[in-house]
Amino acid sequence: MLIRSNLRRVGLLSVSCSRRIAKFGSSAKQGLILQSSSNNVYENLAVEDWIHDHMNLEKTNVLFLWKNLPSVVIGRHQNPWKECNLHLMRKEGICLARRRSGGGTVYHDLGNINLTFFTARNKYDRMENLNLVIRALKSIEPHLNVQATPRFDLLLDGKFKISGTAAKLGRNVAYHHCTLLCSADSSLLPCVLQSPYSGIVSNATPSVPSPVRNLSQVDSSMTCDVVMDAVSLEYSAHYNNKPSVKLIDPKDETSFFGISQKKRELSTWEWIYGKTPKFGVATFFKIAYKESLLDVKLTMDIRNGYIETCSIELPEYWIPQDLSKELQDGLLGSKFCPKETTFLLSTLLRTCSQDEDVCAKWNLLSEKMVSIM
Amino acid sequence: MRTRHAVHCINTEDSLRCALHHINTHCTRLKRSQPTARKFTDKHEWILVEDGVGTVGISQFAQESLGDVVYCGLTDVGTNLKKMEEFGTLESVKAASELYSPLTGQVTEINDALADNPGLVNKSCYDEGWLIKVTVDVPSELDELMSEDAYKKYVKALEDS
Repeated sequence: MLIRSNLRRVGLLSVSCSRRIAKFGSSAKQGLILQSSSNNVYENLAVEDWIHDHMNLEKTNVLFLWKNLPSVVIGRHQNPWKECNLHLMRKEGICLARRRSGGGTVYHDLGNINLTFFTARNKYDRMENLNLVIRALKSIEPHLNVQATPRFDLLLDGKFKISGTAAKLGRNVAYHHCTLLCSADSSLLPCVLQSPYSGIVSNATPSVPSPVRNLSQVDSSMTCDVVMDAVSLEYSAHYNNKPSVKLIDPKDETSFFGISQKKRELSTWEWIYGKTPKFGVATFFKIAYKESLLDVKLTMDIRNGYIETCSIELPEYWIPQDLSKELQDGLLGSKFCPKETTFLLSTLLRTCSQDEDVCAKWNLLSEKMVSIM
Repeated sequence: MRTRHAVHCINTEDSLRCALHHINTHCTRLKRSQPTARKFTDKHEWILVEDGVGTVGISQFAQESLGDVVYCGLTDVGTNLKKMEEFGTLESVKAASELYSPLTGQVTEINDALADNPGLVNKSCYDEGWLIKVTVDVPSELDELMSEDAYKKYVKALEDS
């Protein structure tokens, strides 16, 4: 088994744009290993963007190792309302992030390692990277039954997923990143990746749910640190390099000029929710008020995260028609988001009605509307 | 008589002018409707210019190497693109591949059929699977792109390397 002390850890990497980068590119084909000191998903995704945009990878390949605090990461063309339980995530303080790569939704926490393999676009080879990971895992546990599938997942014992893959192919650079479950919270994972919303009509890329397993369940010695070291050693061996991992700080604007702007972009509502492919919502909900039970039909079209069309069928006897019309008009052009909708509904109510009965019904309606967002 | 003759003359002149105009328009239309040959970028996009508008798609080589396209994320109509600027992303087998505009111009149309049927990019990359249409703002940029023959050689060199 390979131990941590085998690796020489060096301090902060000083890379500042092209001048220093040229240094990495100056020697023959080599592999550079970077490890993030941050557990913030947006900061780590910003490192990927930065390397993708600024590093010359003609002569140097890069492996970036990172871990995040609990977060759900959706693929570039996915619909978060379809992929995860946003209510539960807000309640538990789990971040939602959208990557720039394709593929499906994954759950990250400190028990999961992320590995990003950067190469020149013409050297992009996901199977080669996964085989390297397999070799690293077998260096810890030679009898581990792990295989790569044609969809680039790593399966344990032919059925349990321990790693999922996604990739991005840019102009000159490509990267392939994969998760590797070592000791992630297996009770939270299926709950957050289960959408409670119904009636979403979308062409977004769907995830393919799979049964998962942690490596530490098979062999308790396979902790994140041990697995990361094994992957680093295998990567170094591949390039005949002396094993060395450079620790980097994604907040270090002097080394990574412009990285904080990249992080800001990745954290915006416009990127995370607004980039959702156009979708529709067609749903019914029941509102129980006093003795009556009302069926409300709601249909909406959402484009770039904003409500483009909206129809709520509310009978006149239940809510004054002018208020219901004001609501539909107000929703048009507003964000499909609980905060904005709650604010809109409460503002409308204040300006339109003081009636206690209407207020109570309106609050129930507001609750139901927010429950689909 | 004279008058009639004059009228006749004017008529003849008119019809001649009219005929000439028709011929001219027809010729122009013929000339304009004749598409230029398909041109290629080294990032495997193609462009076919017709009536001053370029239709853009990806090559057979690109669609084969991507595998099944499951989503086409394309920019909006009205976007102004510079040559080689990103205009969208194709997703296939978990990979998002950026698309680059072969020319400078404005997006006039996107292929709506791809929303429900992204697989058209694989099935018919040179026809039904086109991606966007753009105005040709700098016609000389066309000359910088590869002809079909040059592109074939380029791909062959890539495959052999």
